[in-house]
Amino acid sequence: MKRKISLDDMSKLEREPLTHLEPGDLMPLPAPLEDRASSPGWKPLSAQTMEKCECALDDTCAVSIPQPQNEQEEQELVRKFLSGLDKLFRREDNWTFLQPLLLTMEHCAKCQTCGDACHIFEASGRNELYRPTFRTEIVRRLYFKYVKHGGLLSAWQHGDVKLNWPLVARLIELSYRCNICRRCAQVCPIGADNGLVAHELRKLFSQEMGIAAKELHENGSMLQLRVGSSTGMNAAAVKDNIDFIDEDTSERAGFEVKTPWDVEGADILLIHNAGEIVAWPENPGAFALILNAAGISWTLSSELAGYDSINYGVWYDDAQFARVAIKHMEAARKLKVKKIVLGECGHAHKALSVIADRLLTGDLNIPRESSMTLLRDIVMNGRIKFDPARNDFPVTLHDPCNLVRLMGVVEPQREVVRLLCPKFREMEPHGVDNYCCGGGSGFAIMSGNNFSDWRFQVSGRKKLEQILNAFSDCLDPSIPKYLCAPCSNCKGQFRDMLAYYDLWEKNKILYGGLVELIVNAMVDVKPGFIQWEWR
Amino acid sequence: MPTFESHGRAYDVDEDGFLQDPSIWNEEVAKDFMVTEGVNELTEGHWKVINYLRNYYLQFGIAPMIRKLCKETGFKLNEIYQMFPSGPAKGACKLAGLPKPTGCV
Repeated sequence: MKRKISLDDMSKLEREPLTHLEPGDLMPLPAPLEDRASSPGWKPLSAQTMEKCECALDDTCAVSIPQPQNEQEEQELVRKFLSGLDKLFRREDNWTFLQPLLLTMEHCAKCQTCGDACHIFEASGRNELYRPTFRTEIVRRLYFKYVKHGGLLSAWQHGDVKLNWPLVARLIELSYRCNICRRCAQVCPIGADNGLVAHELRKLFSQEMGIAAKELHENGSMLQLRVGSSTGMNAAAVKDNIDFIDEDTSERAGFEVKTPWDVEGADILLIHNAGEIVAWPENPGAFALILNAAGISWTLSSELAGYDSINYGVWYDDAQFARVAIKHMEAARKLKVKKIVLGECGHAHKALSVIADRLLTGDLNIPRESSMTLLRDIVMNGRIKFDPARNDFPVTLHDPCNLVRLMGVVEPQREVVRLLCPKFREMEPHGVDNYCCGGGSGFAIMSGNNFSDWRFQVSGRKKLEQILNAFSDCLDPSIPKYLCAPCSNCKGQFRDMLAYYDLWEKNKILYGGLVELIVNAMVDVKPGFIQWEWR
Repeated sequence: MPTFESHGRAYDVDEDGFLQDPSIWNEEVAKDFMVTEGVNELTEGHWKVINYLRNYYLQFGIAPMIRKLCKETGFKLNEIYQMFPSGPAKGACKLAGLPKPTGCV
């Protein structure tokens, strides 16, 4: 039996990873993936990465932090960490999240209800390193020792911790082993939030030490603020792409579909996750088709960030978050629209509708609505004719955590699929009790080194089990199946995970958004809007 | 920064093995990187895809939409996967010297 990892191990000077995940340790999967021996292999970290980067936590490396050159550099990094830790607990520096953070530090009863709720902990075969309270317990001990300046008695009461660079380096990586889905917070009888602790750590590392996942910061929010979108599309590129999408959608629909740009005074400014435009063009195409058919006054914006709803700051950096949120609202204010509608993107929903609400003042606080409720209203009001028989294939619905558990948007999308998809079946559990896709908090776009192996074998494992169970009566490849995921990040995770386990080729499980199902059932549209091809 | 070596040449690459500096690309790069993406030989079809990606990138600074790539080169997506087993965004873009696609794509 393996030795159980202890909290003290986090400060170990040896560069050996604290744990190795063997295929036999992981939670078993249902058919057709029940044979562990045929599971895809885990690519080991390269010798170069092991030599140059901090990767002494587990078998992967998410952030690729360069190893400090000498002791002085290490001490400087530890000093910055402590300074950041202090700020996390000061009202003037962290007024947004101080209250739930303090509650988590002071009141955890160590009942471990959260452990049973965490998909990563369960999927890893209950590896201590991934227990939701493991990370939190380290932070809690640091808090009592360095923020509250507790002495010996405090160390005896709360447990001691040895602060050094190896501990900080491992904490950085460990803050990127949580999807921040906050299923743990939901079940906590006290309201402690271990997901928030991962978030606060990432924030400390980014804002205080300049350390963040490259995909989220440098190639994410920084790129978005510079050129307008995290995809790298400037206004000319996005207009060129939407032209192409309009042409393509018109061909598939059998009538002209035109996307309006920069219409001043429109009722609705629709903001997509720009990833949809690049990777899943049928989604923005279907949106345009539906909104036009419903006679809605709407527009896209070509302002900087006005055509990309992503706000990766929500996962790692409050300052970047605020910068992007303000850009979104400025685009809406400039066009004098009545409200913003957010496309099929979970984190953008929570970012702009909920969290930004605490920052926006005066005429920047323009109403925001979910596309889920708007689409439900359009489908239910009877203006568009549907033929549900066109969606006569098994459909299941994924609940994006940000949209569903963390915002309570549960029913609108269900009303639509219940009406339009005769073979709809729920995953168990679902709604606010759903499991994360495994790509949450930005993981879906992180694939450096071998991080995707971890993402598909550990963090996505529970969701994979749910999907296979939902389709267990129709796994035969002669039956095409549709996994509906109204969120770009979740779709990216599903695309890559379904391909990793070969579930499209072998079992014909396809994934896609909600609007595609709506258009596929529209009587006025040429049959076959959903194309059963891998994408 | 990791390096990738092939045929006596060393390239600075990112954590996913994409060329760090897209401006140094030439046809040798495609030939040197093909082994990492499971490509055994570069046929006329491969070059058609690579050149399209390259030209689009020089014009817009990003990779084209996959559907656009298919429409413009005349290849179906599964044909592109046959040529580039790791797919258009990873395999084909890497051989064409484009940076790794960014954002939720």
